[in-house]
Amino acid sequence: MAGFEGLRYASLGQYIPLDSPVHRADPRTKLLGLGLLVIAVALAKTYSVNLLLLVAIIALVKWARLSLRALLESVRPAWPFILALSAMQLVFYSGPDAMAHVFWAWGPLRISAASLRVVVVSLLRFADLVFLTGLLLNTTTASALTYGLERLLAPLDALGLPGHELSMVGAIALRFIPILGEAMETIIQAQASRGARVQARSRWQFLQNARHVASLIVPLFVEAYRRAEEMGLAMQARCYRGGRGRTHLVLYRLTKGDYAALGASLLLFGGILFSQYIAHWP
Amino acid sequence: MNKNRVALERQKKAMAVASERAIRRVTTAGLLLAITLLLVFTSIGMFPVPTPAGHATIAHIPAIIGGILEGPLVGLLVGMGFGFASFARATIPMFKDPLVAIVPRLFIGVTSSLVYLAVRRAKKPVLTVLLAILLGFMLLFSWQMASTILWLGIIWAVLSAAGAGFLFWWMHREDVQVVALGIAAVVGSLTNTVLVLSSAVLRGYIPKEAAWGIGLTHGVPEVIASGVITVAVVTALRQIGSRRRRARL
Repeated sequence: MAGFEGLRYASLGQYIPLDSPVHRADPRTKLLGLGLLVIAVALAKTYSVNLLLLVAIIALVKWARLSLRALLESVRPAWPFILALSAMQLVFYSGPDAMAHVFWAWGPLRISAASLRVVVVSLLRFADLVFLTGLLLNTTTASALTYGLERLLAPLDALGLPGHELSMVGAIALRFIPILGEAMETIIQAQASRGARVQARSRWQFLQNARHVASLIVPLFVEAYRRAEEMGLAMQARCYRGGRGRTHLVLYRLTKGDYAALGASLLLFGGILFSQYIAHWP
Repeated sequence: MNKNRVALERQKKAMAVASERAIRRVTTAGLLLAITLLLVFTSIGMFPVPTPAGHATIAHIPAIIGGILEGPLVGLLVGMGFGFASFARATIPMFKDPLVAIVPRLFIGVTSSLVYLAVRRAKKPVLTVLLAILLGFMLLFSWQMASTILWLGIIWAVLSAAGAGFLFWWMHREDVQVVALGIAAVVGSLTNTVLVLSSAVLRGYIPKEAAWGIGLTHGVPEVIASGVITVAVVTALRQIGSRRRRARL
């Protein structure tokens, strides 16, 4: 029965309340700056550029007073899988440059400079992104995140797109995760008390497994729909009319530090693009 | 004068209905997104299947259901949430790339919504023709696959023929509306599998041959699961379908 409990504690973004410049920064700054870095990481393809990014990101993590080890710990269960995948990538890589600089070949297996680079770069990239997502979610509360998102999406309103509604959807989702987690717990216990098999069967009976999952998921959806309707009614009763003319309890102001941080991330982003595509660093 | 007032009242009422629907859409999208996040961040969203990886996901199902029940915009939003969540949760390098984890997921709800809108009012003959076309595509696909790896292509062809046969049989037993739901769910799930794997291949994370294999071992169970679960959920919510009219779960 122990497996039933703990769902309600499932949370996105474990906010870690520390006091650092990164924690104090405006959520808009963090979203924009870290978003730029994510794009830079996705674009970086060579050793030197990735190394540069890794150093910058590790410096940021240290600055936020987060622990590198704790962030890496969160992906520990996946290490065997990552290693197996990397090994496959190393020997089966078949890009356009796979035939140049072959170090070792045996039948269809081949290790070349290109495949080695792909493996090293994707491992570095993975570390970068683990740090970046941790950096955002561990230093920003959920409400600050939705605020930042809403403010960043505000230009969409001018285009007639529902920027406010988008961030409202996000806020509702974050609020309801623990509530639905609790509902899920109740459903699992209810089905178990009716004699449903709660533990999954062997993996060969996957049709029964799908049906077992369905017996838990269907009531969850029905519950969610009921709650959505109730909340729609409650919002209507409180005269909710979308984003127009709505004000906030807490207002964030962009400070000089925020502009400096944004400028720095833009500079880094530009530097990555330059060194990757114009200077052609190795 | 009086006429004007009546028109004004009617307009006000229409606006109230419109805003009610807009609010409902926002809250529904929010809750579907919450379910998605719950499924991604806990282990409920995985069920055991007989493949090397051992698990298939059902976390894309809220996006499909959002698309079917509330339209393409909600489907897009929930799919985007699924993409961001799987990006944040990713434990393998492939899904730490936004182009693999997020972009393909945008289309799950959209395609299933559009397909559902297209086939919702279709009669049986039309559905039969559509199914035949779908089968044709799948066979073409498996022929393509057979040119790379022969046995995989054969398995794929047999599976898609079996799937189409099952759908024909099902269509003659069940309400047409239920079959339309099933088709929309299958298309949504296939969108996820096909787009994610092709972008992973294009970005060079996995070789083409491995993608065919993963498509077989993950795509097929996910398609079956999303068909079963979507039909169960939507019929429960809409009170449609099933001539037998009894719970089977």
